[in-house]
Amino acid sequence: MKMTRNDEGDRLGPELGRLWAADPVAKAPPWFAAKTMARLRREEEKKRGWLGLPRWALIGTGAAILAVGWLRWESQPTVGDAELFAALDAMVEEDREIRWWAGL
Amino acid sequence: MASEREGDGDDVLVARMGQGDEEALRELIVRHQDRVYGTVAKMIGGAGPDAEDLAQQVFLRIWRAASSYRSEAKFTTWLMTVTRNLVFSFCESRSRRREVSDVVLDEEGEELEIGQQPVIERNPRDDLSGKELVRAVKLACAHLPMKQRLVVHLREHEEMEFSEIAQVLGVSELGAKSLMFRARENLKNRLAEFFTEPK
Repeated sequence: MKMTRNDEGDRLGPELGRLWAADPVAKAPPWFAAKTMARLRREEEKKRGWLGLPRWALIGTGAAILAVGWLRWESQPTVGDAELFAALDAMVEEDREIRWWAGL
Repeated sequence: MASEREGDGDDVLVARMGQGDEEALRELIVRHQDRVYGTVAKMIGGAGPDAEDLAQQVFLRIWRAASSYRSEAKFTTWLMTVTRNLVFSFCESRSRRREVSDVVLDEEGEELEIGQQPVIERNPRDDLSGKELVRAVKLACAHLPMKQRLVVHLREHEEMEFSEIAQVLGVSELGAKSLMFRARENLKNRLAEFFTEPK
């Protein structure tokens, strides 16, 4: 139901309403729909990366590969200092023994 | 099939958009472009590239939110709420650079600063449909706080109910009516000289 302008409590009233209407409301330009659709496609395209996959999927996959690589690197067996120096000491001792037998 | 679809209601179109139907969006744009563009232009002080950009953003937001849309309110209420959010954010960021209320566009789209308006030397009642009147209305509109401006536009031009306007603005119905009252008083003060009948 279209309201009338006689209820000034709810509307501008006839006088102010007429003045307000003197500044007409702009209409959308004729190309508006076409431009909006083109912008939508452009933005949707931008969100896609290689092979038509969404960019977030590619970024997520990349991050997952890096995380797995880092974890594997971290979980490699390590040689403690004591073990390392014991092995070096043994090599030095063996070398000294060989030199003694060789009369050096 | 196509003719059946032409008569789809807004809710049906939004549901189709939620399933990725771009044609539904196009139809929705054609239906509501004047409403959105007109509201944006009225709120930011004139038509132009900014109004076009903001109106496009409204429809892009609608597209992205379509899958989560629940038709608890009328579609136009949702549409106007999205419009309000974008317009208010735009005006807030613009007002950081300059005082937005101090700017109004003249007929040629050029900005007029408040306080630098040309003095109207003749009786404005002589030419109520003239440039002076349009300029004065634009200026009065620009002086209204954002919420008051939106209430007047939604009520006068979109003919929305106060319950819907209240939802758009996130205020109570009484609050919306109060904004309308204050807007009317502000406009009366600014446009008093153009009244044809004595107040």
